[in-house]
Amino acid sequence: MAKVIIYSTPTCVYCKMAKAFFAKNNVSYEEHDVASDLKAREDMVNKSHQLGVPVIDIDNNIVIGFDQRTIEGLLGLGKVAAPTTPAV
Amino acid sequence: MYDLIIVGGGPGGVAAGIYAARKKIKTALVTDSFGGQSLVSNDIQNWIGTKSISGFDLAQALEEHLRAQAGIDIMDGDLVTAVAKRDDGTFAVTTKGGKTVETKYILLASGSRRKRLGVPGEDQFDGKGVVFCTTCDAPLFGGKTVAVVGGGNSALEGVEDVLQYASKVYLIVRSEVLRGDPITQEKVKSDPRVEIMWNTVVEEIKGDAFVNGIKYKNIKTNEEKELPLDGVFVEIGLVPNSDFVKDLVTLNEIGHVVVDAKTQQSSCPGIWAAGDVSDVLYDQNNISVGDSIKAVLNVYDKIKKS
Repeated sequence: MAKVIIYSTPTCVYCKMAKAFFAKNNVSYEEHDVASDLKAREDMVNKSHQLGVPVIDIDNNIVIGFDQRTIEGLLGLGKVAAPTTPAV
Repeated sequence: MYDLIIVGGGPGGVAAGIYAARKKIKTALVTDSFGGQSLVSNDIQNWIGTKSISGFDLAQALEEHLRAQAGIDIMDGDLVTAVAKRDDGTFAVTTKGGKTVETKYILLASGSRRKRLGVPGEDQFDGKGVVFCTTCDAPLFGGKTVAVVGGGNSALEGVEDVLQYASKVYLIVRSEVLRGDPITQEKVKSDPRVEIMWNTVVEEIKGDAFVNGIKYKNIKTNEEKELPLDGVFVEIGLVPNSDFVKDLVTLNEIGHVVVDAKTQQSSCPGIWAAGDVSDVLYDQNNISVGDSIKAVLNVYDKIKKS
């Protein structure tokens, strides 16, 4: 199972969306609140060169923002294929 | 071949999806996420039937309501990037994820996105001191000096958010007046940590690894100066998400899809639009819902007649 770390702030809705997505897909994760945890903030900045949340670390692959497609790819989640167009 | 493709997952798109499913219109809905622009609101108090709800909870409720409908295909986590009209009057809709789907009719409920400054450094320092989600990232600027750009409600609320953390906030306003609620204006004006810069535009965002300042200009005196800053919060309004149909439908000067107010039909037969992407006078969740439903019922009338 991939090691997933999310750097978040309590007011960030995209962080909530990412966490809801992890919960829905039974992905366990470690969360760091970078609003209050300055050490975690420094880690986040060093890893991502970003000052914006969420930053998600999946097995040392850094994802900026809640980029669902990239996250699915890194976690190997099989997304339900888009419906093919049947003949009418 | 679908009968209808709905573009967007805000309140309008979801309302349209629910009505289309219940009318058994063969429908697909394409959206990157649910909830629309209200997603980032902490507290929505005018969503009718609910005294108070967060944008996140509203988004979840909308998604849940849509997913409870049988017979609608939901293509979420994706975005429409192109629409082509074919000789037989049907459409080919292409997504960012590389899919192409065919449809007879389209409802645009794609809303708006945040306007960008369009100055050097803005893209380079996006997420490195340039902020487009104030509520998300304001906590990262504790004790810092920042600028909020804009003069409307979102800028004023942005200043309030940032003041919980930052030690100094410049509010950069292009004109000589603030728009937005008088109560918020008073709060912002009376805070000693806020300095309002009138008649001012940002010309460049500077930095190395992160933002360290801006170059700005006073548009009355034409005086150009630099200001050291740790962050720039951009709150200058919205642009409609209509780029992918700009060659098919008539847009107004701002980029809104011009619609017939009775039916929501655009200038292109087969394309309807509702909510903030349309030229509706008032951008409101509740209005988007009603207008989107109106559009779907009009699509249904069209299907019945054909």
